[in-house]
Amino acid sequence: MLDVGRHSNIELLAYSEVENIKGEAGDFQATVRKKARYVDEDKCTGCGNCADKCPTTVPDAFNEGLSYRKAIYSWFAQGIPSTFTIDTDYCRHFQGKKCGICQKNCQAEAINFEQEDEFLELDVGAIIVATGYKVFDPSRIPEYRYKQIPNVLTSMEFERMLGASGPTEGHLERPSDRKVKNQIQDLQKKLQKAEKSLKKYEEEYQIDSESFYSQYKQDNSSEDKEKKKWADKYEEYLGLQETLRPLQEQAEKFKDATKVAFIQCVGSRDKRFFPFCSGYCCMHSIKEAIIAHEHDPETTSTIFGMDIRAVGKGFEEYKIRSQNSSNVFYKRAKVAEITEAQNRNPVLTYEDTKEQKVKSEEFELVVLATACEPSSSTRPLAEILGIDINEFGFFQTDYKNPLDSTKPGVFICGCANDPMDIPESVAQASSAAARAVQVLTGIGDARSDRVSKAS
Amino acid sequence: MNKDILIIGGGIAGIQSALDLAEMNYKVYLVESLPSIGGKMAQLDKTFPTNDCAI
Repeated sequence: MLDVGRHSNIELLAYSEVENIKGEAGDFQATVRKKARYVDEDKCTGCGNCADKCPTTVPDAFNEGLSYRKAIYSWFAQGIPSTFTIDTDYCRHFQGKKCGICQKNCQAEAINFEQEDEFLELDVGAIIVATGYKVFDPSRIPEYRYKQIPNVLTSMEFERMLGASGPTEGHLERPSDRKVKNQIQDLQKKLQKAEKSLKKYEEEYQIDSESFYSQYKQDNSSEDKEKKKWADKYEEYLGLQETLRPLQEQAEKFKDATKVAFIQCVGSRDKRFFPFCSGYCCMHSIKEAIIAHEHDPETTSTIFGMDIRAVGKGFEEYKIRSQNSSNVFYKRAKVAEITEAQNRNPVLTYEDTKEQKVKSEEFELVVLATACEPSSSTRPLAEILGIDINEFGFFQTDYKNPLDSTKPGVFICGCANDPMDIPESVAQASSAAARAVQVLTGIGDARSDRVSKAS
Repeated sequence: MNKDILIIGGGIAGIQSALDLAEMNYKVYLVESLPSIGGKMAQLDKTFPTNDCAI
């Protein structure tokens, strides 16, 4: 990523979208909208002072909503470019409230609320489309109760939890436990606030709140408004303590999850959603199980699937390694339903096809290996480019020239083409680069006549 | 014939294409809709089958 930012031949247009394309191979005119960040790219040093001071917190999409960021943010810490961006959907200034705190605290004077979208006209000879994929939303499968049971996650959410820079710093905290911990934090903040205001009264009247309150109750005199306020505050304080205590007792027993289940083919190989195999999910689950075990050797993982497709260089060996040294177990089963136990652990009901018995088992975390869905930008971009999409919503390509779209000079690579893993995406990307050069130079492009026959 | 190239999408595929072409001395425009490049791969912790860091 760093190399892209530094390379003199690459003009990086981040936070930008293609609006219009005209022309043909060798002579395309593209209109690109550079969206306003409200932060001057040339001035912003990426120091993050603005975000430290910003009063508005927003769920962090990079962490799949498992943590929070500010309304002025960088997409992730090592992002290129490192320029911050204002999220106008949440920013107080753009919501018509008085704020401007980021502007006051930016030493580089980079914040510009008046910034506008810019339009760039680019003349190019070839176009490579690498728009990737979208994670399938498993709440479309009602029996898995994703979002209803907090300890059921997508593989991308689990991936963020495994990351040392992620929301749990690599610890497998059950999201239900994190929720309780956050509640405790909120209550403690409120308690501190209440304590502060009680202290004011205590100093003024030279008596502690507890003695004051018992006296107040005895006298039953509510005429003094100030004293009534004090008594109300003290009652609120007691109430907060009352709510906090059981939560704290509960939290003392929390420990990181060590029993994890993975469910394969969530949305893929399922005629209700996508009939195709998403390809990478088997290996993705195996990898996550291995890494979870690396983090905590007590961790055991069970992978539930119809079969495991470990097709690729070194993949089968990787799977065997997971069984031999990472406590990973494989069950040939299709999970019928996920329910929640009283301790908030998800319970899987499944048919063990080896024993031909319906079983149920409790896990601390369940990870759904979600399908590779065409990115939501695929359809509008296909219209802009004037190219076709296939029956599943990915870009249509020629089976003989698998990177060629239905328009000469436009090439498709990576998951925009079809579900694939990283090594395959990289191979396709290099290949698409080579095809683009063939079109631009006319050298080695003896196959260009086949382009129009894309199917 | 224009020799510049437009790449739409700054994930691992777009980045790889951009670097290959830039190394071959072609001028590349890399368009990414999010504030930073990296795509889904930047969200990954490690990659299979070598457990190398993703970023």
